[in-house]
Amino acid sequence: MAEVQIREARKSYGSVEVLRGVDVDVRDGEFVALVGPSGCGKSTLLRMIAGLEGISGGEIRIGARVVNDIPPKQRDVAMVFQNYALYPHMTVAKNMGFSLKLAGKPKEEIDRRVAAAAEILDLSALLDRLPRQLSGGQRQRVAMGRAIVRDPRVFLFDEPLSNLDAKLRVQMRAEIKALHQRLGTTTVYVTHDQVEAMTMADKIVVMRAGVVEQVGSPLDLYDHPANMFVAGFIGSPAMNFIEGRVERGQFIAGCGLSVATGTIADTARTVLGIRPEHLTLDPAGTAATVVVVEQTGSETLLLLDMAGQKLTYLGRDRLHIRPGETVHILPDAARLHLFDPQSGRRMGDGPGTAARI
Amino acid sequence: MSRRTGSVLPVHVALAAGAALVLVPIIWTVAAGFRTQISLLMGDVLFTPIGSNFAEVLWSKTSDFLLNYRNSIIVGIVSTVLCVVVATLAAFSLNRMRWPAWTVHLFLAWTMIFHMIPPVALASAWFTMARAVGLENTFTGLILAHATLNLPMAIWLMAVFVRDVPKELEEAAIMDGADTPHILWHVILPLITPGLAATSILTFIFSWNEFAVALTLTMKQTATVPVAIAKFAQDFEIQYTQMAASAALAMVPAILVLLVAQRYIVKGLTQGAVK
Repeated sequence: MAEVQIREARKSYGSVEVLRGVDVDVRDGEFVALVGPSGCGKSTLLRMIAGLEGISGGEIRIGARVVNDIPPKQRDVAMVFQNYALYPHMTVAKNMGFSLKLAGKPKEEIDRRVAAAAEILDLSALLDRLPRQLSGGQRQRVAMGRAIVRDPRVFLFDEPLSNLDAKLRVQMRAEIKALHQRLGTTTVYVTHDQVEAMTMADKIVVMRAGVVEQVGSPLDLYDHPANMFVAGFIGSPAMNFIEGRVERGQFIAGCGLSVATGTIADTARTVLGIRPEHLTLDPAGTAATVVVVEQTGSETLLLLDMAGQKLTYLGRDRLHIRPGETVHILPDAARLHLFDPQSGRRMGDGPGTAARI
Repeated sequence: MSRRTGSVLPVHVALAAGAALVLVPIIWTVAAGFRTQISLLMGDVLFTPIGSNFAEVLWSKTSDFLLNYRNSIIVGIVSTVLCVVVATLAAFSLNRMRWPAWTVHLFLAWTMIFHMIPPVALASAWFTMARAVGLENTFTGLILAHATLNLPMAIWLMAVFVRDVPKELEEAAIMDGADTPHILWHVILPLITPGLAATSILTFIFSWNEFAVALTLTMKQTATVPVAIAKFAQDFEIQYTQMAASAALAMVPAILVLLVAQRYIVKGLTQGAVK
């Protein structure tokens, strides 16, 4: 096991800069998720840690060693690929034991370690099968098995669940999490799915366009997004953004919504962020027309139109509302976020940040 | 019912015509090997088959055909192995060594141009070169020449097969601690076996059939089968029937190879077409 330190990491292909100075610290045994929209550089960063991509600038350390110029095989990291990349002509056992064979380990040791890994991943009955004879979930587990037999210092996962169907994804998510808790190996996990990141990671690194937007624990990012991008990216359904102004401790929007912001200086233009689950239906609130109603059984999602302002409401109550009807919406004044419309940055310490630890 | 027959019939006729186009000359040649020269020249339709042409070609004191056969097999196998090994390494390098794109394109374009040059045009130059370094009338000279002639085709084929191996597999192997030779041997090679087989067979057959360069670079001791067959056409007499008999014998290895390996050829040549 080891910690991973990334300092000012840069990557460019010709004149195109993919990573523009990234700092990430992964503590020993920590599970860190790199999230961001496609093209944000998260996979490139992972491949730089793996050694599959060169480092154009900055420094990457694994343990005490700077690995910039160290080839992948000497970095002692294992990687799980998005499409599994199992060797199609080798059995499950051979796939898992290939790295040990290359390392010149004796056959008994390879067999023992493969058997142990297969035991952990519930693959013992499948060791003689070929990858094409396995289901997607089983292939995924073999890919993880190939990583864990080596007992590497760091696990790298590159969107490992994106080829699975929704149900299997949830199941494998729990399995990977359980595996991490059991082995305690430092893990860097790349995903574009913020739910995966929220549910699995100890720490999330949100990236966009080659820079880190924010680093923090899942709930930290949820409660205190540093900017509108993170606020909109983390949480599902996405946060509502409403343009307006602040006057004498009151946020006032064109759509008629008005809510107390606490001690914040007056501003002519600001953006209020409020999560769908922090809106309440209250007769004292502002009127809005229901456009779409989505019932999932456990939750009700309403798409609303508040004088031209689109809003999403999420509630646990089962509501008997039809599109076209009018509801009254009141934001939870303790869960507001205010952003600067120009920079997108979080403004002041609104009431939403009162819960900061 | 009639509509179906109507649409299928022309297809069958076309297929039969195509098959006839390929098979009739072969059958005619084999049949000629079993006739007397007189019967052949008279153009008799019916004839009594005789085995003397084959016996003459194979066992006569004046015939070197078995030696030529052996020579062809040696040259064919060794030049094929050499050609395929070089082509596979070249294909791997072209695809995976991160050459600048123009280098790869220039190289592939050049191999294509080289492939379009008629071997006859190269033969005399190669003869001079071979003589300069003492390789005339040796297997080595002819093997090198055949390997060179077939390299462009082999490289093009192997480049496609190697390209179709997913890059992630190679990266997975790198993460597993494999060096380039390991990757080639344990990961790439097992996955391109059908392509390797197809390329080897085609290369072998081209070498087996090659005439112009073999004629130039060999003499009596090293002559290959096509050269030997041509020797039946002499100044004052053309031994048609013995020529036909040796031609029939020359087809045997190609037919055997194709029977054994045709599924590889089809699999290999269509691999990657649909994915």
